[in-house]
Amino acid sequence: MNFSVMFDKDKCRGCTNCMKRCPTQAIRLIDGKAFINTAKCIHCGECIKICPYNAYTPESIEWYNQMHDTPKKFKIAIPTTSLYGQFPRGTDICKVQNAILRLGFDFVYDASWAADLVARAIKLKIDKEKTVRPYISTYCPAAVRLIKYRYPSLMDNLILIREPMEIAGILARERVRKNFGLKDEDIKVFYISPCPAKLLAVTNPIGDYKPSVDWVIPLNKIYGDLYRDVIREDNNTCSYPSLLGVKWAVAGGQSEHAELKNYLAVHGMENIIEIMEEIENGKLSNIDFVEASACVNGCVGGTFNVVNPFIATSNINYILNSLDDECINPDIDRFDEMYKTGFFNYKLKEEERPDQLNLKEAVERQEKIKEICDMLPGLDCGSCGAPTCLAHAEDVYNKESEFYDCVVLRAKK
Amino acid sequence: MTDKILKRYSYDVIANDFMSAGKSSSAIKSNLKSLGIASDIIRKIAIISYEAELNLVIHSFGGKLHCDIFENKIVIISEDTGPGIADVDLAMKEGFSTAGDSVRELGFGAGMGLPNIKKYSDQLKINTSSEGTTIVVTIYL
Repeated sequence: MNFSVMFDKDKCRGCTNCMKRCPTQAIRLIDGKAFINTAKCIHCGECIKICPYNAYTPESIEWYNQMHDTPKKFKIAIPTTSLYGQFPRGTDICKVQNAILRLGFDFVYDASWAADLVARAIKLKIDKEKTVRPYISTYCPAAVRLIKYRYPSLMDNLILIREPMEIAGILARERVRKNFGLKDEDIKVFYISPCPAKLLAVTNPIGDYKPSVDWVIPLNKIYGDLYRDVIREDNNTCSYPSLLGVKWAVAGGQSEHAELKNYLAVHGMENIIEIMEEIENGKLSNIDFVEASACVNGCVGGTFNVVNPFIATSNINYILNSLDDECINPDIDRFDEMYKTGFFNYKLKEEERPDQLNLKEAVERQEKIKEICDMLPGLDCGSCGAPTCLAHAEDVYNKESEFYDCVVLRAKK
Repeated sequence: MTDKILKRYSYDVIANDFMSAGKSSSAIKSNLKSLGIASDIIRKIAIISYEAELNLVIHSFGGKLHCDIFENKIVIISEDTGPGIADVDLAMKEGFSTAGDSVRELGFGAGMGLPNIKKYSDQLKINTSSEGTTIVVTIYL
């Protein structure tokens, strides 16, 4: 497995911005440089966005090798829906898929086509199963992992309908096997992604299935080539995304596509945390469906996008309002048959159960940590290398750092 | 042995302070999470303590919310200084509420407070008079 965030130690100045921003407190400063605890990282990309010194690079060179070192494989591309918001007004978006083919892919299956199917499956499940409320979307892998780490009791609220990337991968593979007479191992599926979290969804899914996508390509890495090709006169092949499917890139788009009347769309990490607290308190059980996206405005806010999330949102709304939907969805006719066989459903992967809890020890541990924390200045300044005084107290208790790493106390000593 | 209290978390809850409403139950929740309590138990306690806290804010003259940890159970206690619940049976009915319009406009006072507490608890004791109300909710681990 490869980590989706590259970190350049030389560029890091130990400013603590990323450490304080991290929603799972996965970052510490060690010898003045940021260090990510990969076991806690949910790949939300907040550190990449906030770093003033560009020490985090949202890429892994691996994707390039995967794409270019496998000439014998049949390469399928699945463009993310947010891609359609990345071009200036008036760009002929029906040329985008052809431009992707000309980058060296053999086949394109649009994520928006899969979204057409998934939206229907979501609607049916919500209408049929009324015991769980609210259902929570599993579209954003970073939001799902935030729930897993901070709100595990809400795992039962996840809707567990396969997301469009996964469905697109399965259907594209099926089509290529049939039309080109290929075997599964001769095919490689690439998702053109708006964010690093999708890589995590591919390498370590929450569901009990083998992902259909093999690798993730950062959208920004191929954008230049795509854009130059899309505006070329001689690119005149047309193929359309599903316009409502494209709206999935924007917060609220899933629910609108599924024609839900009673939903809540929340975006941005802090906002998700507030809403999850409310759900945990039993307050939002009058809502059918909650869409949570880690990034501002939804997937258009992902770090691999090129255009500002608000401009991209406006672009996508413009497309929806100005174009007729000429999309011919290749698989929509098969929906009923797919739904009947449970094609969209999945189960969560079995997780290792934590050791039997000894409450007495846990209380003692908590009290000792509180004792340490009460001796700290409570400034949450981050200078010790932990994001808060409480986090530092925990690290000291776990013998992962020294009490006098606290700069304030050291100065007083 | 099982009746020995391991830890008590206590919070003051101020009447009519809707800005802070929910903070005590949030603190209880995060303390239980850091103890490593199972998530299904935390979910029940989150709902119970939130409803109890809001009852204190909306209906009481103010009071205290406690969360007691035992080896085999967790007990949420809400104590206030009045004015007491006039008709406990009625208050236990889903949808019954004495909350005024100003509270309902804030999205509170739907008449689900005590019914929800009962629904998620293993044991519920209510002691009420004009001097004050004590509610003791037990959840077994």
